[in-house]
Amino acid sequence: MRVNPNIAPDVLAAIYATQQQQDTALQELSSGKRVNVPSDDPLSSSLMVGNQDQSSRTDQYLQNIDTLMSQMQTADTALGSIVTALNQAISLGVEGANGTVSSSQKQQLAQNLLGIQAQVVQLANIEVGGVFLFGGTASTTTPYVLDSTSASGVQYNGNQGVNTVEIADGLKVQTNLAGDQLFQNASGDVFGSLQQLITALQTGTSSDAATATNAVRDALNGITGSRIFYGNIENQLNSTQTFLNQEQVNLKSQENTLIGADIAKAATDLTQATTAHNAALAAAAKILPTSLLDYLK
Amino acid sequence: MPGLNTSMNIAVQALLAEQGALNVTTNNIANVNTPGYSREMAVLQEAPTVIDGGNNYGMGVTLQEFQSVRDQMLQLRLYEENGQQGNAQAQLNSLNQIQSYFADPTKGVGGALTAFFNSLSQLSTNPTDTSTRQQVLLAANNLANAFHASADALQNLQSSLDEAVPQTVTQINSLTTQIAALNAQVAEMQGLGHDPGTTQDRRDQLVLQLSQLVNVSVTQTDHGINITTANGVPLVVSGKSFDLQSGTASGGLQGVYSQGQDITSQLQGGQLGGTLQVRDTVVPDMLGQLDTLASQLATTFNTAHQAGFDLNGNPGGNFFTPLAAVAGAATSFSVAISDPALVAASSDGSAGSNGNVVQLLAIKDQKLPVGFTPVGAYANFVLTVGNYGSNAQANLTASTASLQQLTDQRNAVSGVSIDEESTNMIQFQRAYEAAARVITTVNSMMQTLINIGVTG
Repeated sequence: MRVNPNIAPDVLAAIYATQQQQDTALQELSSGKRVNVPSDDPLSSSLMVGNQDQSSRTDQYLQNIDTLMSQMQTADTALGSIVTALNQAISLGVEGANGTVSSSQKQQLAQNLLGIQAQVVQLANIEVGGVFLFGGTASTTTPYVLDSTSASGVQYNGNQGVNTVEIADGLKVQTNLAGDQLFQNASGDVFGSLQQLITALQTGTSSDAATATNAVRDALNGITGSRIFYGNIENQLNSTQTFLNQEQVNLKSQENTLIGADIAKAATDLTQATTAHNAALAAAAKILPTSLLDYLK
Repeated sequence: MPGLNTSMNIAVQALLAEQGALNVTTNNIANVNTPGYSREMAVLQEAPTVIDGGNNYGMGVTLQEFQSVRDQMLQLRLYEENGQQGNAQAQLNSLNQIQSYFADPTKGVGGALTAFFNSLSQLSTNPTDTSTRQQVLLAANNLANAFHASADALQNLQSSLDEAVPQTVTQINSLTTQIAALNAQVAEMQGLGHDPGTTQDRRDQLVLQLSQLVNVSVTQTDHGINITTANGVPLVVSGKSFDLQSGTASGGLQGVYSQGQDITSQLQGGQLGGTLQVRDTVVPDMLGQLDTLASQLATTFNTAHQAGFDLNGNPGGNFFTPLAAVAGAATSFSVAISDPALVAASSDGSAGSNGNVVQLLAIKDQKLPVGFTPVGAYANFVLTVGNYGSNAQANLTASTASLQQLTDQRNAVSGVSIDEESTNMIQFQRAYEAAARVITTVNSMMQTLINIGVTG
């Protein structure tokens, strides 16, 4: 049987093929990537788009959490200070409700309470980067201003709107409580009770002062209850942060599975390809120059 | 009755025949590396015998002809496979030019989409902040640029492929002209009963080149070969070639015509077919996906944007410029607003509300009418790009292997073997030596005969 006498193209093809394997293995090793263009593995390349999107989103969620965390902490701290102020107001009220205090002492107490009222208004107007935390979604206008014509002594310029922010896929947290819900709700009215106490001390009887002090106490309980809201969000932010950090690790490992080179395998491939390449070269060197002419004299 | 002169004549014929055979060997060796060369054989035949006195005397050898050794069936398979390889190669070459645009998932449209939605996510934590709003517009413009760059890359590929069409048509015409001329010579030689030999080799080699460019169907006739495209458009009939023409077709792209007929869509094999396929099917498919994504994203986003209120409390307008048509949407995709205050973040009209940002942000996880989320649609686009590339790669690998095998088979039949030629050379040399020795011997016998007369 006649065989193909011109083996040079086949030998070259074999050499190219093993060289190609070597190049591929070497490229995988040096770049650490198995997939360099979409055609290397269309599905993995496509999944990588989702992976990178998810990874980048996760970064953004973590950034959101940082931003929110500082807002929540500021809000919580402000509420803590309000609690302290109200406790002070209560002890002043208790003092004023005592029948033995003189009228001038009452006026003195009322003066102190006016100071507390101003302090609480200031705390309720706390802002972060120009954003008022307790004004609902009307966060660019100062929520509370002192207003002597109002029964509560203040005027609320905010609204009832609340914002939600996504901190993980599908997980949204409410990021604010509107001021009037926080300070003027069913369990008590912070500003109303303070104003009530001030009026009672200025013009009312001891029992008026006692009633007003109790109202401040109720309002204090209300605020303490509302602080739980912020505490809960902080907890949720913390646990989500942990989850997202883990998610980042998972996504990185998924990325590695999708397009990363299996270094051990690539190294083995390189060794094998090198062996095959050497064998092809050796075979070529042995076969190509040989012909009958070598043996004819 | 044969005499010494007869022997002398037979020996001389033998010398001539072996010399002729050696010529074939020499020519074979000379062409050992010539592409498409089919080895030739010297066809030796016994000379007509002479009957004399009841005896049948052999009258030596004649060199009948030189014959090329070839397998026409293999040749036809080679044309076919060559066409497929040309097709796959053309597709892969062009796809490789654009693949790198879509290789890095953090860049391009995918990365820009992610960055855009992230900027909205950032805005949701601080909806009144002007610099954050500015970031949203910046990210939206980056997204628009990414759409433009991707569409540009695809359109540039399309136009460079378009430019290649007339060039390929010119190459085809030049080949068919040469083939037709050689075909006439081959037919003429065959008509005279000669083996067309090297003329046919040259013709077949040109047909092989032609089959790389366009898939051809070759039929053997009494007047040489007829070549048509796979769909029967004539290219060469006997000694006549039919030129293809290229010209601007209705879509603004180059069409291919044969005798006034538009045959562009019929050309599917070969380099030309591959080029046309990428230009007319693959690139439009990719562009279509980008356009659909751009168009549906703009529409969906605008609808949601209009439901909100901007920083001044006015109802939101269009965020992206409304796109008139899906076709070309990726190219004309642009951001409609430049004032960061006009981003409709609020759902209740108050500046600090982020309710509408949440709605806008939700689009990232919503399926567009096309059936994918925005990033999902881009991922599907990358899958399409990758699949076209890997299919072309697989086809190329398969047809290259197949072509190599066929070439091996062809060479097994028609290739020149140095070993074989060396053996033949020795054979012919020995026969020549022997015939020459016969002449010496006969000469000596004649001398003897003449000397009888002299001495006797």
